Amino acid sequence: MIEFYGVSKEYHGRRVLKNLSFQVAQGEFVFLTGPSGAGKTTVLKLLYRAETPGAGQILVNGRNVVSMPPSRIPELRRTMGIVFQDYKLLPTRTVFENVSFVLKFLGVPLAERRRRAYQVLRLVELHHRVNAFPEELSGGEQQRVALARALVNEPELLVADEPTGNLDHRLAQEMMRLFSQINVRGTTVLVATHDVALIRETGRRCLTLDRGGVLEGLVEAALPPQAAWRREGSSAHPVVPEERP
Amino acid sequence: MRSGAAVASLLDEALAGLWRARRMTAVSVLQIGFSLFLVGLFLLAAENLGGVVDALREETAVTVFLRPGADEAAQADLERRALDSKLVAAVRRVSPEEARRRFARSFASLAGATGTLSSNPFPSSVELDLLPGAASSAALRPFLANLAAFPAVEEVQFDVDWVRRLRGVVRLVAATGAATGFCLALGAAFTIANVVRLTILLHRDEIDILRLVGAPEILIRGPFLLGGVLQGLLGGLLALGLLGLAFRGVLMFITATENVLLGVFVVRFLSPATCGLLVLGGVLAGLVGGTIASRRHHV
Ligand SMILES: Nc1ncnc2c1ncn2[C@@H]1O[C@H](COP(=O)(O)OP(=O)(O)OP(=O)(O)O)[C@@H](O)[C@H]1O
Ligand SMILES: [Mg+2]
Repeated sequence: MIEFYGVSKEYHGRRVLKNLSFQVAQGEFVFLTGPSGAGKTTVLKLLYRAETPGAGQILVNGRNVVSMPPSRIPELRRTMGIVFQDYKLLPTRTVFENVSFVLKFLGVPLAERRRRAYQVLRLVELHHRVNAFPEELSGGEQQRVALARALVNEPELLVADEPTGNLDHRLAQEMMRLFSQINVRGTTVLVATHDVALIRETGRRCLTLDRGGVLEGLVEAALPPQAAWRREGSSAHPVVPEERP
Repeated sequence: MRSGAAVASLLDEALAGLWRARRMTAVSVLQIGFSLFLVGLFLLAAENLGGVVDALREETAVTVFLRPGADEAAQADLERRALDSKLVAAVRRVSPEEARRRFARSFASLAGATGTLSSNPFPSSVELDLLPGAASSAALRPFLANLAAFPAVEEVQFDVDWVRRLRGVVRLVAATGAATGFCLALGAAFTIANVVRLTILLHRDEIDILRLVGAPEILIRGPFLLGGVLQGLLGGLLALGLLGLAFRGVLMFITATENVLLGVFVVRFLSPATCGLLVLGGVLAGLVGGTIASRRHHV
């Protein structure tokens, strides 16, 4: 479903990703972790072509994302549901409108928009707030609206950037259960988070970004959450030789 | 069905966008409306002048207007001289009553106005039908000067001459209208472009998010383009409304003041085709402005 081959990315000459390679199969549920600034958001942006890599190839569902002409990008993005780190909700639109406007732009009639928006809002337990505006919602509620919007078009691939960043631990666990449910229905799920405790509890495959490369493996249960990625990163099997630009 | 819903959502988004920038929208609609209104005035004048020319063209004859009180002997003398000149095929007397009837027939909408006049403003006259070729004959001018020197003659009118001049005026009015209209429409398109750009700025975040979630490009930019077109359409309709009001106003003024002279020129409204053209002009201005503002690197 997702294939990265030797992907490198620089911002203004500063290297963020270096020779990154990994694969995620269809139907998998995978975490992407690493310290702040490691490049998690960058990896996701490369996936939906908000950024292009300096080198390497990226395939999503067999389609080459790097060489894709700009006219095909909307089509690519419509096959994914994206939960952005900063939610990107429209402040002047209600919860219902925020969730359903993509459908509106795809020409789905109002009745069906209502039905589908209600369905996904029910899933994230916000169906009683359809007429609220984003600023009337808590951070966690906004995050759930963002998730509802990502799910409303029934994506093949769900990509979420820190979807639990504003949730307390109980709500975060609930969110993960939700992701598992979605995953069970056949949607591939990729979640970027630095909440190591959550990754540990969920017990899914985990990719750790470290110094531009990626390390595979489950986060060790014994490690304190903050230190987990460090131990992992400096462990005995670095994929990329240590090197700074 | 899906494309129907897509069009509905486009229109919905476009209207919402205009509403969000409603002050600017109102200003631009007013500007377009006023520009097209001015163009319409020119067209109205040109069409009516043209109508007058057409009404008169059939009667390309020499008209000799007589002084009030010209006697029968003088008229007979005049007619004999005319027939002797070898330029005139026939003579015809036109009484003041006949002249008024003709006027009423040509300008039906003003029949009421002339009917209410207390005295008949039309003088009696003699019409001379020219022989074929006489109109371009060198002998015609001295002959007309000769007629004009008659004591009973008030004025000699040779229609071909002033019809030709009137035609020139019509062309000038139409050309001025077209040139002014073009400049004004350009200005209107520029205003629309600015309004559309403003609505795009107001929707900046929305556009970015729409792109990120994969909304089709035409559906992202379409509402803005459509917004421009709608502004042009509204401006065109506003111009038509204003023209209609102005036309009625002038008509009422003519009837109230019995101003027959002005009445000759403002007797009918723009033809449906010209009305359509005017609105189309607004739509085109909107299309141009909208297209300029919603080109990809602006949105
Ligand atoms: N548009 C940009 N221009 C310049 N530098 C950027 C840009 N986006 C990201 N960076 C840099 O690239 C690095 C990786 O950023 P990224 O947002 O991918 O990190 P992250 O792993 O998502 O971090 P966090 O956990 O804080 O969200 C950071 O050092 C950041 O400063
Ligand atoms: Mg990030």
